Amino acid sequence: MNDLSTLLESVSFNWDSLGIVFALLGAVLVALMGGIGSAIGVGMTGQAAAGVVTEDPGKFGKVLVLQLLPGTQGIYGLLIGFVTLTQIGILGGSAEISLAKGLLYLAGCLPMAIVGMISAKWQARASVSSIALVAKKPDQFGKAMIFPAMVETYAVLALLISILSITSIGGMNI
Amino acid sequence: MAVLEMKRISIYALKKNRKAILELLQRRGAVEIATPETAQEVFTRTDTAAARQTFEKNAKTLTDAVAVLDSIAPPEKGLPTMLLGREPITGEQYRQTVDSAGKTARLAGRILALGKRIDDGKAEAQRCSALLDSLTPWLGLDVSMRSIGTEKTSVFIGSFPEMLTEGQLKERLAAALPQVPAVEAEIISASTSQTCVFVVCHAKYGMPVESALRAMGFSYPASPPRLPPAERAKELETQREQALADAEAARQEIASLADRRREMLFAADYYTMRAEKYRVLGELWQSPHTFQLTGYIPAEDAPALEKELEENFAAFVEIETPGPDEEVPVKLKNHLLSAPVEGVVEGYSLPGRYEADPAPVMCLFYYVLFGLMLSDAAYGLLMVLGCGIILAKFKNIEESLKKNLRMFLFCGISTTFWGVLFGSYFGDAIPVIAQTFFHKEITIPALWFVPLNDPMRLLLFSFLLGIIHLFTGLGMQAYLLIRRRKFADALYDVVFWYFLVGGLILLLLSTEMFRSMMSLTFTLPGWVGTAAAVFAGIGAVGIVLTAGRESKNPGKRLLKGLYGLYNVSGYLSDILSYSRLLALGLATGVIATVFNKLGSMLGGGVGGAIFFAVVFLIGHGLNLAINVLGAYVHTNRLQYVEFFGKFYEGGGRKFNPFAAHTKYFKFTEEK
Repeated sequence: MNDLSTLLESVSFNWDSLGIVFALLGAVLVALMGGIGSAIGVGMTGQAAAGVVTEDPGKFGKVLVLQLLPGTQGIYGLLIGFVTLTQIGILGGSAEISLAKGLLYLAGCLPMAIVGMISAKWQARASVSSIALVAKKPDQFGKAMIFPAMVETYAVLALLISILSITSIGGMNI
Repeated sequence: MAVLEMKRISIYALKKNRKAILELLQRRGAVEIATPETAQEVFTRTDTAAARQTFEKNAKTLTDAVAVLDSIAPPEKGLPTMLLGREPITGEQYRQTVDSAGKTARLAGRILALGKRIDDGKAEAQRCSALLDSLTPWLGLDVSMRSIGTEKTSVFIGSFPEMLTEGQLKERLAAALPQVPAVEAEIISASTSQTCVFVVCHAKYGMPVESALRAMGFSYPASPPRLPPAERAKELETQREQALADAEAARQEIASLADRRREMLFAADYYTMRAEKYRVLGELWQSPHTFQLTGYIPAEDAPALEKELEENFAAFVEIETPGPDEEVPVKLKNHLLSAPVEGVVEGYSLPGRYEADPAPVMCLFYYVLFGLMLSDAAYGLLMVLGCGIILAKFKNIEESLKKNLRMFLFCGISTTFWGVLFGSYFGDAIPVIAQTFFHKEITIPALWFVPLNDPMRLLLFSFLLGIIHLFTGLGMQAYLLIRRRKFADALYDVVFWYFLVGGLILLLLSTEMFRSMMSLTFTLPGWVGTAAAVFAGIGAVGIVLTAGRESKNPGKRLLKGLYGLYNVSGYLSDILSYSRLLALGLATGVIATVFNKLGSMLGGGVGGAIFFAVVFLIGHGLNLAINVLGAYVHTNRLQYVEFFGKFYEGGGRKFNPFAAHTKYFKFTEEK
């Protein structure tokens, strides 16, 4: 019996060494998923915008604005990713984080990652429709811009929760 | 300041002054023509459609001619016309344009004809080249391709769809026609897909030879020329050169007209103006010796125009206040700060009948919100400099562009202000440069605080700004209702909401839990919480009782009232929506930081400095562009959805005066 516990003791694994792994996983995921969503979104809107410009090159400025709207999720992803990297000490500083903290960072990144990816795609759909709207009624540009911006609200809310989590985890005593 | 008061103007004058009066109105550009559909019997309308079409056609000919001219002799690439604006011309220049307009239009017609000649010449040259190409395989033939033989011989000129040598051809002929002696075949040219041959035989074997040849795949050339191929080729070559020369001559003639470009554009404008004048003319009600014109005019312009018309043209002018049911066009007039955001208001919708112009109230919020979202002092300065330089240097740019530039100038000032408060200059560029290249620790302290270090504080501040913004919107609603003397509605729809939302916020602030959650340090005395609860209660009860006041049925009314109370969730989401101020503000700073970090990766030294400069320029250029766009879109959203949602509907029709809608010149007023 005694032998077994000593054996276990000797092979025991330092679980806290995994903390940084999960934390980085979070940072990478958020940049990845936000970027994927925005890339898909801006790609979709770009196709629609190019179609409009073939008919009327004068609308370039307007459709460009609409094309770029789903691009912000990628930026938010980068933002959360970067803040996480600085917080967990990968960009300078010590990278010693407990397993619990690492998992917390991962969890903190998830809202932005998931909502960012999905909202970018749906925002792109709204944007594509708005591009069609501007193609037919260029004077309605102000309203056309608002429909995609509505979708973005939820990406902003996710960003908010992610950033509040990430910046407060460092001060926790776990 | 706000929506200009509109008056109805009616002008009655003698027909002999018609032209002069219309021209004056067009130059002043102050009256929107709106003639009634019917008039007394003595008045009739003239059909001016034919004349108008002629003018429009002339204008189109002129602009088309300029397009042709530009494709041949492109105008010098200078600054974009957007910056230069329309060229001001004097009365003398205008009279010249008018006098020579007919001639200029004919010149334009000539240019179009020349342009057509160039196209035709090129097409002709193309056709000749194609014919020459098809003739090339036959060039070795020295008789006409149409030869069919002499009295005693039969000649077959044609081709096989394969590669053949003379030996092969003769072998096949001999095999097919063993009974026919002396068939002479000559290969003119051979390629993998076609062999051109000349076959001659005695006339009496003509028929069998032809059928044998056909069986082998022989075919006659399509439309062979009368002349022998070589001569025909020479003829085609001459034709081609002639066509090209003709096109070139036309091109040179057009190029020699390059200096008439401006004249033609002016003439195009002149015809557009005349077309517009004739449109109005067609709407006038005229009697044999008089005519009448009605329309709308901003009240401030009315007296001057009235005086001018009555003194110079013996016209009778009547200025009236429009009736309450008339759909009066809307024109906004604002002061220096609020005029630039008129475009934003217009992007939503112009004020409707009972509404006020929101621009004066929203302009400050617009600048503050925009600045908070971009919040970098250096970016703000760049915007101020960029817009300021363009505004100072190009005085002649169009009014709408000028307004936009001014708007971004003010947004830039606000951005600089917030940037200084948050200590952000190109993100953290200054400390990074000092650290990387000079190994010194320099930090520019934030005047207020660094958002990334304390996001909660900025979030709360964003909510506070949001609450002020929303309450201002509600206040506008109250103002509009009171202006229409609907005091009860103002109480029900505004004051109760102030009580409810304001009370709930105060109540929330007085709870210990919320304060610790938001790490607020102050404490509110206990009575504040109680008072807040009382006010919120009054508001809630008031809303439940009054929100459904349109329904007579008490049950329905109560349900509608409860549904009205449910709108409080709308206020919650509206306030939360202002968290984008924090999100976008942080985004600018963090991305700037990322680029600074990226740039400093190669460390100090010359190489590092060059790398840093490149990354800095590209990175910050990109960041500025993307974040200005983001700030613009989201400021508009906050104005349109959260702010306008509280009081503004719009639906006004834009004032569209009868004026000189020219594209290339504008009048300088001579007084």
